Amino acid sequence: MSKKIERHDFEPRIIGFVCKWCTYSGADLAGTSRMDYSPNVRMVRLPCSGRIDQQFLIKAFEQGVDGVIVSGCHPGDCHYNEGNYYARRRNLAFRQLLEFNGIDLRRMEFSWISAAEAIKWTQVIDEFTNRVRELGPHDEYGDMLDPYAERLLKVEGSA
Amino acid sequence: MIEELRNKAKELLESGELDVVIGYADGSDSARTTPIFVRNPEDVEKLVVDGRCVNSLPLFLNKRHEYPRKGWKKTGIVGKGCDIRAITQLIAENQLRRDEVYIFGFPCDGVVSHPNNWDGSLNDGNIASKCSDCDVKIPTDADFYPGGTLPDADRSGPYQITAPQVLNLMEMEHSDRFAFWRDSFDRCFKCYACREVCPHCSCNICITDRTQPNWLDQAAHKKGVFAWHMTRAMHLVGRCTGCGECTRACPVDIQVDAFNQHMKDVIQGSFDYKSGYSEEEKPPLITFKVDDREDFIR
Repeated sequence: MSKKIERHDFEPRIIGFVCKWCTYSGADLAGTSRMDYSPNVRMVRLPCSGRIDQQFLIKAFEQGVDGVIVSGCHPGDCHYNEGNYYARRRNLAFRQLLEFNGIDLRRMEFSWISAAEAIKWTQVIDEFTNRVRELGPHDEYGDMLDPYAERLLKVEGSA
Repeated sequence: MIEELRNKAKELLESGELDVVIGYADGSDSARTTPIFVRNPEDVEKLVVDGRCVNSLPLFLNKRHEYPRKGWKKTGIVGKGCDIRAITQLIAENQLRRDEVYIFGFPCDGVVSHPNNWDGSLNDGNIASKCSDCDVKIPTDADFYPGGTLPDADRSGPYQITAPQVLNLMEMEHSDRFAFWRDSFDRCFKCYACREVCPHCSCNICITDRTQPNWLDQAAHKKGVFAWHMTRAMHLVGRCTGCGECTRACPVDIQVDAFNQHMKDVIQGSFDYKSGYSEEEKPPLITFKVDDREDFIR
């Protein structure tokens, strides 16, 4: 029973920063249960969602990803007791900052996914991938070139 | 007012209670004042207090700077209401103990937005935007206040959005906002004046000066500039006391403090926290409540 494979013109690149105790295990469960979900997400496993520094997210956007997903344990379930509470506050602030910078907030997703919620993981990823696919490539940030690099490219192109 | 302040400063310097008084003196031209470190009691005559005193002096109390380590046991500092707010925030962040400073407060009618706009007096045309809705014209805390005791003032209201450009920006489409910042940041050549002038940038080695790992590109191209300004704003979330020095110091006229103004509103709306009003309350991002807002999380 396999899903019909759809082909799209644009496949978004999505990076996921996930907590190893909940979301990573949840994704693992989705894999071992052979559930289908979009292959666009690349995951970075971190000890806790509280470990996610805003630098990771800024760097991800800087490197030209189309969407970023941040995910961790439900409140109260944190392996380190309170890491996800800090993550929640930090992400609230960071989202507002992104919006103020003019980056579309639909490119950033935050969710709580526990180790048992493989189905939720597949749903979140599928929905997020579709959403980002509709938004198209995030080139306004990713394609900003450093003027020196631009010049180098021109020189190389003309040679 | 100023005579009273000078006399008190002189008295405390002569008695040895204070090692130094940090204040304002006349600067290189008539429109400017410059920070002065008064150690000699005769020099108190140089102290001035008026609408030209734009600098935020608590910068010198931050541990990042050499001054607190000079062996001075007690530092006197002349502060406007907003500077005293910054001192309170430094105390809340353990940069400073309250008994290490002696605060000379004074009633402030606002300051000029930039020395270039100074025309001899303070008026609606040249007053800084942060001063229009200021609720600390009478300071929150001071050891010395002209005329004796500090009068009470009502500060229960919320922070106001003092910068109209924040509102204008929030009304734009996000792509227009991105274009606005892209054009602004095109001018940035990473002099880091916004960091150097900030009383709350406390790191001994800034993340942008660290090259291993290299989180922020040091080159002044737009990507790195975006990353720098976002990082800077994020590090000041819930800590910025809105002195607006970053914008004033910017040599290429980028509205750097718009980020901080916006985040101030966010923090106030989400966590009901006003930075710089309490020495005990922790800044919002180093603490949490179990029932924090989470309507943005699915």
